[in-house]
Amino acid sequence: MSDDSDIQPLVFMMGNFAAEFPIDRQYAKNHMWAEARDGVWRFGFSAYAVRLLQDVYFLDWSVDAGTTLREKHEIGSIESKKAESSLYAPIAGRLVRFNEELLSDPSAINLDKYGAGWIFEIEGSGESLLSPQGYMEHLAGVWEVTQRTIKGQMNE
Amino acid sequence: MAKRIAVVVSQGQSAAPAKRQLEEDIVAALLMEPGIDVVVVPHLYDLKADGTGILALRGIMGNMIVLSWLYERGARWTLDRAGIRGKEGLTTIKAADDEDEEEENEDNEEQGVDDKERVNDSREIPNRKIYCLDLRVHSAAQPYIDEVKRIARENSMQLVSLGIGMELGGRPKTEQLARLAQPTNDTALPLHPHPSPLPKGEGAAALTRIDEELGRRWYPVIDYSRCTNCMECIDFCLFGVYGVDKVETILVEQPDNCRKGCPACSRVCPENAIIFPQHKTPTIAGASIVAESLKIDLSKLFGAPETGETAEQAAVRERDEQLVLAGREAVGASVGLPKRHEAKSAEPKDELDSLIDALDKF
Repeated sequence: MSDDSDIQPLVFMMGNFAAEFPIDRQYAKNHMWAEARDGVWRFGFSAYAVRLLQDVYFLDWSVDAGTTLREKHEIGSIESKKAESSLYAPIAGRLVRFNEELLSDPSAINLDKYGAGWIFEIEGSGESLLSPQGYMEHLAGVWEVTQRTIKGQMNE
Repeated sequence: MAKRIAVVVSQGQSAAPAKRQLEEDIVAALLMEPGIDVVVVPHLYDLKADGTGILALRGIMGNMIVLSWLYERGARWTLDRAGIRGKEGLTTIKAADDEDEEEENEDNEEQGVDDKERVNDSREIPNRKIYCLDLRVHSAAQPYIDEVKRIARENSMQLVSLGIGMELGGRPKTEQLARLAQPTNDTALPLHPHPSPLPKGEGAAALTRIDEELGRRWYPVIDYSRCTNCMECIDFCLFGVYGVDKVETILVEQPDNCRKGCPACSRVCPENAIIFPQHKTPTIAGASIVAESLKIDLSKLFGAPETGETAEQAAVRERDEQLVLAGREAVGASVGLPKRHEAKSAEPKDELDSLIDALDKF
């Protein structure tokens, strides 16, 4: 996480939980942060996603590094304390590399989600990415649906 | 006359503490049991073809119980692909809501056996049993420990019945008994397979832990009890995964040619005989039934698109995606599907297609 105390993260209240979102990066609608570095976008899970997942136990990729992805291309799966899910490309582009460390030990996703817990890097256009403020608005729009999704599945 | 049995615990890929705990609880309890040898290996499916894990498993000659985070069929045919073969040992470890469906499946399979010859009918299978137990069925160790003990008992009772000549029918002659003790055919396995490091009569288990640096693998395995050797898979796959053996039986010849994440051949297999044990769709991963997940599915949240594809359309799309990734031309439905297309015009979808569609939608 950023040490700059003068740059306050944005906060979204998920019930009583305050999810924090650093403003030094962009966000994708599928709840990943995106940081521009050396011509690629580095992605990781936002606090919103991590709060829903809780402890991550297992990540697996169904594509290899170097693969060209379309937006929403299915790229792998995740297992956590609370969820099992497939994962999808946040933007179109070439998947440059995965954070290989997470394959044997995914705990960095929980311990340092905005730093060492990065997931993968994609070379592509970031024009569909949202500003931190834009992501807050997106969250406000989807929070109700997310709660219904979780409750709905819990009741099944 | 105690007969030892080997119990293989195949560790999961996941770091979920509950899963690791379950593995270790089972190992710890079995070490207290007489007549049991425990081998712990990394995830069975990822074991390298000639790595220490596979070599250790090949070294087990007698009956074997394999506990893994795979469907029973997924584990059985993964072992088979690695050259570890035996007759199917029946287990009472089943998913809870399994039983009705299981009966239906058996009916279907019996019908199938009547009119089609399966590859397994003509294969030579070593004379021992392999029991595959799915660690995802129960969250507590006790049912697995009880089941291992039950199988071990069954195992030693068989030996007793052999000893009094039941299996030989009536009174065996001396030379028959001698042949039983020292078989002359090459498919038989020794009656006392496990030279135990412990003194005779001592019961305590031996524990072997095998560590192997593993990458994640991705390849199909064939369920030869379903496979009819129809060759649709070899026609459909354009990556050279499949081949045939000396007697023209289909086999997964080059598993590591397989394209990561692509299950297309299993979707076109008319007998649903091709298993990708790590695929997220249970029927492709070897489930005989659809077990409901206890965890919530957040796929929609992470951007899962809605699809309305048939199994065959999905297979053609998946194969084209892999061809393009490999720098080759997409071929669409023009290659490897002729037989199915003809059938399709008369009957739009078979049961399997509908089942897979239903799963995909789910």
